[in-house]
Amino acid sequence: MTATSPATIPVTVVGGFLGAGKTTFLNHLLNTGDARYAVLVNDFGAVNIDAGLIARHDGATMTLTNGCVCCSIGGGFSETLGKILDEELAFDHIIIEASGVGDPWRIAEIALIEPSLRLNAVIVVADASRIAILLEDSRVGDTVRNQFDRADLVLLNKIDLLDRAAAHDARKAVAALRAGLHIVETSQHAMPALPVGGPQAVSRFRASEAVDVADHEGLFRRWCYRRNAAFDAARLDTALQQLPPQLLRLKGHCRLEGEPAALLLQLVGRDWSITRAAACGDTEQNGILLVAVGTDDLPDRAELDAILDRALSPAGDAPSRQVLKDNAGIQSPATQFPSPREGQLPCH
Amino acid sequence: MNPSRPFATHVAVREGRIAAVGDFEEICGPRRLVVDDRFKDKVLLPGFVEGHSHVMEGMMWSLPYVGAGDRRSPEGELVEGLPTIDAVVARLQEAEAAMADPEAPLFAWGFDPLHIGSHALTRQDLDKVSTSRPVMVIHASFHISNVNTLVLNRAGLDRATNITGVVLGKDGEPSGEIQGIAARFRVFRVLGGNPLSGNLTAADVDRYAASACVQGVTTITDLHNDLLDQTVELYRAASRRPDFSVRLVPALASVSHAPEQGIEKLKALKASNNEKLHYGIVKLVLDGSIQGFTARLRWPGYHNGAPNGLWYIAPEELPGIVATYHQAGVQLHIHTNGDEATEVALDAIEAAQTASPRPDHRHTLQHCQMADAALFKRMKALGVCVNLFANHLYYWGDAHYDLTMGPERAGRLDATGTAQRTGVPYAIHSDAPVTPLSPLFTAWCAVNRVSSSGRELGKATEGLTVEQALAAVTIGAAYTLKLDHMVGSIEVGKYADFAVLGDDPFEVAPDRLKDIAVWGTVVGGYVREAPHA
Repeated sequence: MTATSPATIPVTVVGGFLGAGKTTFLNHLLNTGDARYAVLVNDFGAVNIDAGLIARHDGATMTLTNGCVCCSIGGGFSETLGKILDEELAFDHIIIEASGVGDPWRIAEIALIEPSLRLNAVIVVADASRIAILLEDSRVGDTVRNQFDRADLVLLNKIDLLDRAAAHDARKAVAALRAGLHIVETSQHAMPALPVGGPQAVSRFRASEAVDVADHEGLFRRWCYRRNAAFDAARLDTALQQLPPQLLRLKGHCRLEGEPAALLLQLVGRDWSITRAAACGDTEQNGILLVAVGTDDLPDRAELDAILDRALSPAGDAPSRQVLKDNAGIQSPATQFPSPREGQLPCH
Repeated sequence: MNPSRPFATHVAVREGRIAAVGDFEEICGPRRLVVDDRFKDKVLLPGFVEGHSHVMEGMMWSLPYVGAGDRRSPEGELVEGLPTIDAVVARLQEAEAAMADPEAPLFAWGFDPLHIGSHALTRQDLDKVSTSRPVMVIHASFHISNVNTLVLNRAGLDRATNITGVVLGKDGEPSGEIQGIAARFRVFRVLGGNPLSGNLTAADVDRYAASACVQGVTTITDLHNDLLDQTVELYRAASRRPDFSVRLVPALASVSHAPEQGIEKLKALKASNNEKLHYGIVKLVLDGSIQGFTARLRWPGYHNGAPNGLWYIAPEELPGIVATYHQAGVQLHIHTNGDEATEVALDAIEAAQTASPRPDHRHTLQHCQMADAALFKRMKALGVCVNLFANHLYYWGDAHYDLTMGPERAGRLDATGTAQRTGVPYAIHSDAPVTPLSPLFTAWCAVNRVSSSGRELGKATEGLTVEQALAAVTIGAAYTLKLDHMVGSIEVGKYADFAVLGDDPFEVAPDRLKDIAVWGTVVGGYVREAPHA
């Protein structure tokens, strides 16, 4: 259709069967959003916004102090969306909740043909504790399966409620629906930010915000990088860009040469940031401790170590460059891979 | 429909109610009578009760009708059905020529390719109507539309696309047929809105009442409405006018309210009930339509192998909704077209009834077109009523026979005979404007069970007698609305609501039932002659 112009508003459709956690995800986005979202929901009663965030609430529309609005679809979907488009308020993103028995793609198509909109992503939330059963259910199995047909990203939710075997089965059932389906494991208390940048970026987003749970049967590989040293700020970018694409996310504490404070390094895909770390009692704050997750074909540890070693500051004295014992893969995942703070993930 | 006086020559009316019924001597009691013999050559039936129709019937008639079958307008005009695409185009040209504003879009309704030999209406056909004015023809199903090339151009849908619902023609280019959420959304954006989802007007409500009068209907439903404040105000104002000649029974749409909100809303609405306005029922829609292949069917599914249809409410969500309303004492009307949906609805009612038994709840399954005898027996056991879509036999009977259900299931489509034998309280309906509002036609369908091509569908096993069919469109429908103590029969104490007919339905041949002339109605003693344009 028409070429994407900067004036278009990205649209994300959030689908998934009843009880999957769609509203939990939308609540999370509204509560943590630093972008101006217009969120269209089916069930206003389930929307749970911090009271301090609500600027105005008039029946079918809730306006938040962070610039987001949340609208009930109760009065008719087309009318509600039409109203948002007519109001000419500059929303950064429109997020639409599909009905629990609806096909999110049917709604996503609006963003393909309405010139003022562009499709960012179709995200389907699945309840990991029952998705395998639902997919085979004689009454709703076809409805549930259809919802995944055009999903860019699946949030396999409530994964924290499952043991390793059950989580594996849930992932397997969803993965079997379509080759290349991107699945991210989430829980009520660890929801990702909204992936933005269109379907390609969304696919890179896979697992980047994953809840830290058991490393299921080799679907992911982890890598731990620990040095009693500091990075050289000038070389760090080059080194990070050299990390292989199989590496999906890297997060942890580090030091930069000349900076006394411990810093938080986060890398998602090719984007990375360094911020001042909050005091968190980590005993390794004086050095570097980074934990990464990648796909199961992540290159071996030595190769990855070598890339980041090239960014270490040459100014450091010899002992500080000493390679400490690397115990990746032994620690429990929860300590290896810092979990996103509950409900505190940034909106991009 | 009054077993105490199935037939009578005289009826006495006082204060809008029936004071006496019988022969002249019987009604001459101690009180002084004023004899009104204007109906001495007519036949009075209890006013017809349409248990499933929509106020949209009143909205539609503001637009030209281009369907295949004859319909009578609220003005009493017999609008002839159009047998060919050329005839459709000609009527649209006529309507176009009569429009003052050259920019205004032309909308029309009622088109159904099934009934004109499956000929499609293309954008090229509609371009003959206008190339400078947007033209949109809404199908009888209300889910599909056709537009002219101008609309496609404006919507940016003029090139081939894989968007669902932008139907391509034989040339591989968009044909002008538009379906589905996305395409409809875009088209209505460029048309400046959907004429059917705009605000209801007082004129629409009056047209609905006029249509009722033309068809002898004295109690009519509006069986799925969000009941926005504006609608509520229109209904309040209309129903209090002495000349508003129909009793209106709106059903609150469950989809627009959480059950707890719905219950609160109904409580407030019921406080404003009056003799001609009866709030209290809730409508739930569980699945789609059979002919649209969106109804939910049990095994073996659709006869032609089409995939099973759509749930509009998740089966696991239904029990909670039903239980909440059930416990609050609300009567539910549940749309279930396919037999799988019917089964799910009965499961939910059974659970609610088991948890909190409630005598005489009269929850009613609407359409319920594919239920078999076993499902009817469950309805009976659970105290459930049914309102069967008898008009489907005529309009889509052939499609059901050939495509959707196959011969055996089509033979028990809308199984009125099974309802009668099983003892399930039943009504029959039109779902106007989906099919024409006309209880006499609906009764004709249930008696004759003949499709538009002339095929009989289970007449011997499922056909009703004329008496049973007339009961279904009067006292039967009143029972499903819990209004049978006030309407549905000519009985002392009830409202003086009559359908005034030109002929006696018991004397005409059963296959002429639909052709009986309707003179007009009496509603609460208010006499209204139907216009005859």
